[in-house]
Amino acid sequence: MVRRFLVIVLAVLTVLSFAKVKIQFWHAMGGWRIEVIQNMVNDFMKLNPDIEVEVQYVGSYEEILAKLISAVQAGTPPHVVQLNEISTQKMIDSGVIVPVQDLIDKDPTFDVGLFLPQVLNYYRVGGKLYSMPWNSSTPLLYYNKTMFKEVGLDPNNPPTTFSELIEACRKLVKKDEKGNIVRTGITWPLYAWFFEQYMALQNQPLVDNDNGRTKKATKVVFNNQAALNFLNLWNTLTKEGLMINTRRADWTAARQLFISQTVGMLISSTSDVALLMNESKKQGFELGTAFLPLPDGTQRGGVVVGGGSLWILKQKNQAEVDAAWKLVKYLAEPGPQIVWHKATGYYPIRVDAIQTLLVQGYYQENPHHLTAILQLLTSVQNYNTQGAIIGAFPEVRNAIDMAVEKMLTGELTPKQALDEAEKNANKAIKEYF
Amino acid sequence: MGRSVRTALFGGSSVRRKIFPYLLLIPTYLVIILFIYMPAFDALYNSFFRVSVFGRRRIFVGLQNFLSLFTDKDYLYAVNFTLVYTGTTVVISIFLSFFLALLLDQKVPGSKIYRTLIFAPYAVSYAVAGALWGFLLNPVVGHVNYLMRILFGIQTHWLTTRPFAAYSLIFASIWKTLPFNVIFYLAALQSVPSEVMEASIIDGASSWKRVWKIIFPLVSPITFYLVIMSIISATFQSFAIIDVMTRGGPGIYTTNLVYKLYLDGFRFQKIGLASAENVILFVMMMIVTILYFTYGQRRVHYQ
Repeated sequence: MVRRFLVIVLAVLTVLSFAKVKIQFWHAMGGWRIEVIQNMVNDFMKLNPDIEVEVQYVGSYEEILAKLISAVQAGTPPHVVQLNEISTQKMIDSGVIVPVQDLIDKDPTFDVGLFLPQVLNYYRVGGKLYSMPWNSSTPLLYYNKTMFKEVGLDPNNPPTTFSELIEACRKLVKKDEKGNIVRTGITWPLYAWFFEQYMALQNQPLVDNDNGRTKKATKVVFNNQAALNFLNLWNTLTKEGLMINTRRADWTAARQLFISQTVGMLISSTSDVALLMNESKKQGFELGTAFLPLPDGTQRGGVVVGGGSLWILKQKNQAEVDAAWKLVKYLAEPGPQIVWHKATGYYPIRVDAIQTLLVQGYYQENPHHLTAILQLLTSVQNYNTQGAIIGAFPEVRNAIDMAVEKMLTGELTPKQALDEAEKNANKAIKEYF
Repeated sequence: MGRSVRTALFGGSSVRRKIFPYLLLIPTYLVIILFIYMPAFDALYNSFFRVSVFGRRRIFVGLQNFLSLFTDKDYLYAVNFTLVYTGTTVVISIFLSFFLALLLDQKVPGSKIYRTLIFAPYAVSYAVAGALWGFLLNPVVGHVNYLMRILFGIQTHWLTTRPFAAYSLIFASIWKTLPFNVIFYLAALQSVPSEVMEASIIDGASSWKRVWKIIFPLVSPITFYLVIMSIISATFQSFAIIDVMTRGGPGIYTTNLVYKLYLDGFRFQKIGLASAENVILFVMMMIVTILYFTYGQRRVHYQ
């Protein structure tokens, strides 16, 4: 009897294992987040025993795109890929993806109306959603309340304007007996993302044609006072020794400066909220978070959603596309979104997820997560804060990074840096193919 | 394989002798064709096109990619930096390693320990070497700045300011390539015939003269080989060190040809342009190799 039962079980299992659809999910989230994602996918597989998902951490956003291109050209594309926000136009032009909108239209169980409009607006191009928004973040001002108290700054009144920011930085500077700066005001990674954010914060577009949203962008339009405000600040802070600059896009170095209490303030992604909450506790200082300070006398526009989204790649076998859609849909559900939000700081991208967290009183205990969300929700919604859509976005960012580095090393003035960034960015947009 | 089978396959022994070597070469050639010749021809072919990101659209542009490279200020800067970086690294590394090898060749107590210590960087990969120096030169928690602050009261942002980014890079590259050169020089020094040395001592040559007039010419084949190898490694393998330490910055200050190729090919997906850069590098390496084979064998003193 037992034997017969076992045989049947084995037979069923064999059939099941043959019927399993295997899909690959590539992501770019290193460190402790590898495990978080694996656990979320494991939960998905428990709910969908007929689907087997192979999760792979492929490296940085740049590496993942490079590897995706080789995989597609080799004829073995992965099924679901996480790419950063600036890859959007490139992927739309690629012809190798299944637009998520097509799958949403066919799937009555999926209600895209529950997603935050701020997030949807970024990823919708020409009214169509091409990828599933997933890990969304914006920049945030982090500051060390303990250090603020020590130097006589009000820990509950973080700087809101550039002049207040410079003032606070000056107070935070500490020198040793030889006059060397051992502690200073602020840092943020040397990355053009912050430049873009400061354009949107002053309600200015980055490129023409409504930030590339009504027609393809033909040139950048950032060579103006708004950009100069930000570059002047960056330049002043650096020249006065109030800021430490990192290498290009070195997020880890910026965080490390803040965690080691070498700087009193940090502008970084909201995806660092969870990490910095933990680290500040370990280092024994009180963490504060605030909206980004504005240039004096300007009106607040808003922040732009950054981070990444999930893309579904075209496959020969339709069953695999269906399985990929199921996975993508699952990862955007309130449950996984809440897990993801708590573990990292990336926004829960759905209204119902935020509601659940509010009801549970999560934000009373975790005010930093709330600062992050409020900054996004209170942002003016228009083309400027929806973010730019540019095919050659990585090159545009690079042009800005390069010019900023030249400004910081004293080769260029802020105005010259803007001119050079504009010239190189326009060249890249023209050459995009 | 039995003898009869072999005879059946390759016919008589004379035919077999003709075919058999080629059969043995097939696996090697397969690998070379698949991984070297095909990609090289692919790059040559692509260098005449503008290719879209996923390679679905392509336009023939003739020599446009090459023209735009040679009119691009950044590319010309990268050529210049490559020459400076490679030149400095190779010259310093060769002379320093020759000098170190001379010292290590002395019969002093503990010379084996010194040798081991000096060889250690060779066991470390370029990426790890870059990461190590990245840590050491970190402006905040790095040991170098800690010592500098205590000893001289100065702080330097080694990796993000000019000209220190280039100095750091050259220093790390020399540190990495030195052991390889030292090993070869040590071997060469040990094969310098002792009669020659003894004769020179009897003739009253000073040690300075002995080193530059006798030893250095005698090890010149090795020097030539090492110069070629160092040029290749400083041009190509420097990628990992640059990527980890400076990312080509600040600005384009430490961007050499290989790093520029990486940026255009893998960061910006300009496949046509990157292929053209690849072809240019290929030609450069070809010139170095041809120089090696023509002048190397003739000019250098072989015993």
